[in-house]
Amino acid sequence: MRAARRSAIATLALTVALGTSACGITIPSDPEGSLESVEGGTLRVGYAPDPGRIAEGPGGPTGPIADVVTGYAHTVDADVLWTLGSEETLSDAIDQGELDLAVGGFTEKSPWTDLAALSRGFLPPGTPENTPMSVALLPMGENALLSSFEAYLDEEGLT
Amino acid sequence: MNATARHQFGRTDLPEEQQRALRSAVRWEIFTLCYSAVTIFLVAIVVGNSQSMRTAWVEDMLSTLPQIVFLIALPMVRKRPTTQHPYGRHRAMSIGHLVAGVALLTIGGALAIESALGLIRLEHPSIGTVNLFGHTIWLGWLMIAVMSVIVVGPFFYGPAKVRAARTLHNKVLYADGDMATADWQTNAASVIGVLGVGMGLWWLDGAAAIFISIGIISDGLRNTRVALSDLMDQRALRFDSTAPHSDIATILGTLHALPWVADAGVRARDMGQVLHIEAFIVPNEAGAGTERIAEASERIAETSWQVQDVVVTLCDEIPAEVTERITRAS
Repeated sequence: MRAARRSAIATLALTVALGTSACGITIPSDPEGSLESVEGGTLRVGYAPDPGRIAEGPGGPTGPIADVVTGYAHTVDADVLWTLGSEETLSDAIDQGELDLAVGGFTEKSPWTDLAALSRGFLPPGTPENTPMSVALLPMGENALLSSFEAYLDEEGLT
Repeated sequence: MNATARHQFGRTDLPEEQQRALRSAVRWEIFTLCYSAVTIFLVAIVVGNSQSMRTAWVEDMLSTLPQIVFLIALPMVRKRPTTQHPYGRHRAMSIGHLVAGVALLTIGGALAIESALGLIRLEHPSIGTVNLFGHTIWLGWLMIAVMSVIVVGPFFYGPAKVRAARTLHNKVLYADGDMATADWQTNAASVIGVLGVGMGLWWLDGAAAIFISIGIISDGLRNTRVALSDLMDQRALRFDSTAPHSDIATILGTLHALPWVADAGVRARDMGQVLHIEAFIVPNEAGAGTERIAEASERIAETSWQVQDVVVTLCDEIPAEVTERITRAS
């Protein structure tokens, strides 16, 4: 039993070591390659209007959270493709891999944690006072995209 | 009545060597509890959404059970027999051992099922970043750092407990030390799981969690088995349950050396830290009176500090069920 456990650990360690060296992998990376497809491409963003945070406008959504998304898209050299939907529709779309990011009235208390990863909370300038911190929904396990988005929030001092 | 005879039943004192080992064991158990409190706190900060980290965290909590059991049972087993408890309360250690074993078994099983379901549902664990002193750091690196730092402790207290357990013949302490000695495997597995997530190999996290759960289950099985066997009065075994207890052979040798003994057999009950002895003696033609019985009983009690509650019975023939026996060649 002991020997079997030890050799299982050795095998796993070897898998990780070979994996890392063979692919020249960066950590964290995405199982589905989301960040790679976003960079220099399209950032598919779903939004659910929420008063004071994000609203429908004539040329796409407006508001403090919309600015955060376009700011982030700019840093990864991506065009934003906006989709309008309810929070439930957006969560499902994230789970199905149809969106890279969903924003709206999501907060850290969001119930959609089974379908999507929550970013850290952020508070963009222009949000009404006493509003709880916003979070964005991202595809589960796409940790490179999540880390890249959170790093942007930190750089902009929004967290 | 001499000193040995007075100590025959429910002795609560220990020889110098065992006293030292006991003090050391208590110190290590308290130290381990404090150490675990720190590690449980540290892991709680970084645990995140990684299943392997969560499993390792629960294992950290479960690993304190043997220490709590040992510290609670110790004052009980050292109480002298009373009217209410004529054999003392030695079984407290085995009962605690059983409770710890069953807890490990059930929680280990629950964790294994949870981890397996996560893999079946293709749940990709999300591990984001934290802002540490103005730097954005992937939380996985912190998980790996914490798991690599806290792996150190068990390397010290594991072997120390096994040493004390050998001297004290204490199976709870032995199980505790033995589990601690294998604890690095949990840390290694969770590091591999987190690194896997970092590399995009999401399933490695669940696989590592299952590996850790299986370790908890096997610890639970082993502890439950040992505790149950002792509670069911199996043949007395060494502290690590690998061989028959050497005191039995010593006692038989001692009885063999008495000139008036024709045949002798012994039944021993492992009460946790001490042995309760029933000796069956067939006297030869020289016969045996109460003085000789008292002598035999004292000699038996003298063989080891562990030997207590010695009862000597004279008989015409050793009962067939008493298999630990010698027969003097006539």
